Parts: sequence; structure tokens; C-alpha cells
Amino acid sequence: MSKFNKGGKKPAPSVNTSSLPDIVFMLLFFFMVATTTKEADPTVEVIQPTGIRAEDMTPFKQRSEIDFIYLGVPRNKKRAAEADIEYALFLDNVMQPNPNELYTVNTVRQWKKDKFDAKPERMKQPMSEVITCIKADEKAPTGIIFDIRKELQEIEALKLAYSVTDNSNN
Amino acid sequence: MAKREIPEINAGSMADIAFLLLIFFLVTTTMDRDKAYIRPIPKKVEIETPQTPIQNRDILEILANNSNNLMVRGKEVRNPDDISDLVLEFYRKNEKLSSSETDVASADPGYAGFEFPFYTRYTIDEIDASLYKAEKEAEDMEKTPGADPVLVKYYFSKVDEWEKKRKALKLYGKTELPEISIQAHMRIVVQSKTAYELFAKIQSEIEEAMFELRDDASQRIWGFGYSRIVTRLGSEPTDAEFLAKKALLEALYPARIIEVTPKK
Repeated sequence: MSKFNKGGKKPAPSVNTSSLPDIVFMLLFFFMVATTTKEADPTVEVIQPTGIRAEDMTPFKQRSEIDFIYLGVPRNKKRAAEADIEYALFLDNVMQPNPNELYTVNTVRQWKKDKFDAKPERMKQPMSEVITCIKADEKAPTGIIFDIRKELQEIEALKLAYSVTDNSNN
Repeated sequence: MAKREIPEINAGSMADIAFLLLIFFLVTTTMDRDKAYIRPIPKKVEIETPQTPIQNRDILEILANNSNNLMVRGKEVRNPDDISDLVLEFYRKNEKLSSSETDVASADPGYAGFEFPFYTRYTIDEIDASLYKAEKEAEDMEKTPGADPVLVKYYFSKVDEWEKKRKALKLYGKTELPEISIQAHMRIVVQSKTAYELFAKIQSEIEEAMFELRDDASQRIWGFGYSRIVTRLGSEPTDAEFLAKKALLEALYPARIIEVTPKK
């Protein structure tokens, strides 16, 4: 007398997966739009201090009008001890032929010039317009930052940015 | 002859390909945006020129020493969060005084706001007169044979300045444009071992105070916040109306920051 069990056991219907690629592509495009590429994996440890009302660097990054300098304790402790360097610099992409090398302030000038020369002519901004963004560790001494500032002043790269983590939404 | 049926392409692995791409993007990108405080570096001066003395009242000096202690205007500050309040006080103390009150107060050492920068108030007639004078001077300078091009440029920058003031007052819609003492500035003095954290905190506090000042003015004049202007210019950087609004707010509350290179 089974009213609901007509025609014996049916196999479970398979789920239609033809729209799965569409869903995944949608996710993919979301991530492509919402994120920015990492510019480099730094060889120095940087824990940034927090700050508020900082300016968003993304537009400058998209126009590649910004150079990043990292300042922190080298990850390679052994080399740091050998070279007797407490805080080292990491300069983004160009001029890092040897990732184990620890850079100090006196390489900043050459690096800025190399990056400037490497740019194609039609994308070139005057040197004074390219922002140099310093991502320094919270414990790093400001003396080094002012040394970098002085180097930049010498080559007339007159825009400096102090990077912080800003968790507020503005 | 019957048409041959086109064989269907198996799209079953499409999802796998898309997943692969997705995971690649997840790994190589970051979600957090880079945020920073942009500060111009002054041009190097070859020849030291004698500086005009700056009055104490126009300087807001923020000192941070090697052991990360803070001092603002000669008083020790235990909590770095208080800096923004001191900056606000610096800008607001004498802001509401009228021209005649300013004249009286600036001559009276007993006045409570004597050690804070005073404001100058320009009416549209005064700005027009100064603009006319500056234009005339610039033109005369340009006509002078053998005039130093640097000097000519300087005279024309003066004209630009007055024109900017004129535009600002027009947009402000009041009878007078208050302007803080031209020499009023914030001065960050650190020592070489001051932690970057504290230096960044000082910058952050200044930025917070500037935002509050401009936000208040924006609410007062147009009824919406300063962040709306910033957001608008973020998506539409050439919007003339909002650029003018930002220029007015910056004219009312200019952030002049001097970072002093620490001595060795």
C-alpha cells in the first residue's frame, strides 16, 4: 500500500555542474579586481606601525610612480652578524642581483637612478615626482630614515612617503 | 546527405582550470592596501640665506628623544594620543577673533592665546587690491631688461597666491577669509635613535588633527564631511568643483610640517 514508493528505488539524481566554471570565474574576477600584486618578498623583517588617515598608495602603484624601500632587521641573521649590520634595506625589484646581499643607505642613490633609467621614455615622470615609500619596522631608528631622506634630497627625488598599516576604512 | 553532427566539447575540466587560476591569484596578491603619509622633501639649498626670525607663537614643536619620550611646546606629553588635541588647540585658539580683537590681543602679553598663532582676515576688496598690485609688480619685473628669471617667477607665484585666495573666498561665501599666520608651522624634531613607531605616530596624530579641522569646516560650509571630498577625488581626480573645495579647506587649514634632520 505504499503510496509514495512507486516504481522501486531510484538512484539519486546527479547535480548539474555545468555552471560551476561560471561561479569560479566570477570568484576569480572578484579577486583580480579587489587585490593588488605583491611587489616583492623582502629580505628584511618589517612589522609596520599603525596609523590613521593615511593616504592610499594604490593609484600611484597602478601608474608605477612609486618605489618601495623596506627597512628592518635582516632575516638572514648569520650574514647580518658577519657584516655587523643591525638594520638593513631591501630595495624593490631592480638591483637585487643577490638576494642575500644586505643593502645600506649608500646604495639608495644608484638604485633610484637605475629604476628611473629602466623606465620606458613615454612613461617617464620627472625624478622629483616619483614617490619613494619607506616601509620601516616599528623599532627601526629614525636616524636611518633621515639618512635616506638626505640621499633622496641629493638626487632631487623630492617626494617621500612614510608607510603605516591603516585599518580604518577611508 | 545528412549533416554530420558537430561533436560537443567536454567542458567538464573548465572548472578545474578556473580553480587553478583562482588559486594562483589568491597566492600572488595581497588584500591590504599600501597606506602612507606623503611628505615633500625641501630642495637642497646651496647658499644659506639669513632667515627671518620666527616668533615662538608660530611654532608647534614636537620633540621625540632617543628613549622615545615626547615633548610638545616645551611640555612633556606622556600619552602620544594627546598630540592631536594640542595641534587642534594650536589652530583654533585665535581662530574666532575678529580683526580688531586680533590687534588688541596680539599686543597684550597677558592674553591667554598670546602664545598661539594669530589669524589675518582678508576682505574681497583687500584681496583684489593686493592682486592688482602683485600683477603690476610682476609685469614691471618682466619688462625690466636683464631681470633674473627666478625673481620673475617668484613675482608671478605671488600673483597666483592672491588669485587662489580670491577663489577661496568666493567659494567660502563669507565676507572675510581667515588665514593663519603665514609662518605658523609644525616642527617634528627627532633624535637618531627615536623609534619609527613614534615618528609615524606623530605623523598620524597631525593627520588626524588636520582631518578634524577640515572636516569641521566642510560640515559647516557644505553640510557634508571632508571624507566625501577625499573619496570623490579618489575616484574622479579632476573634478573641478571638489578640487576647489579641497583647495579652500587647505587654505583655511594649511598643514605646514618641517621635519628636522637629527644631529649625529
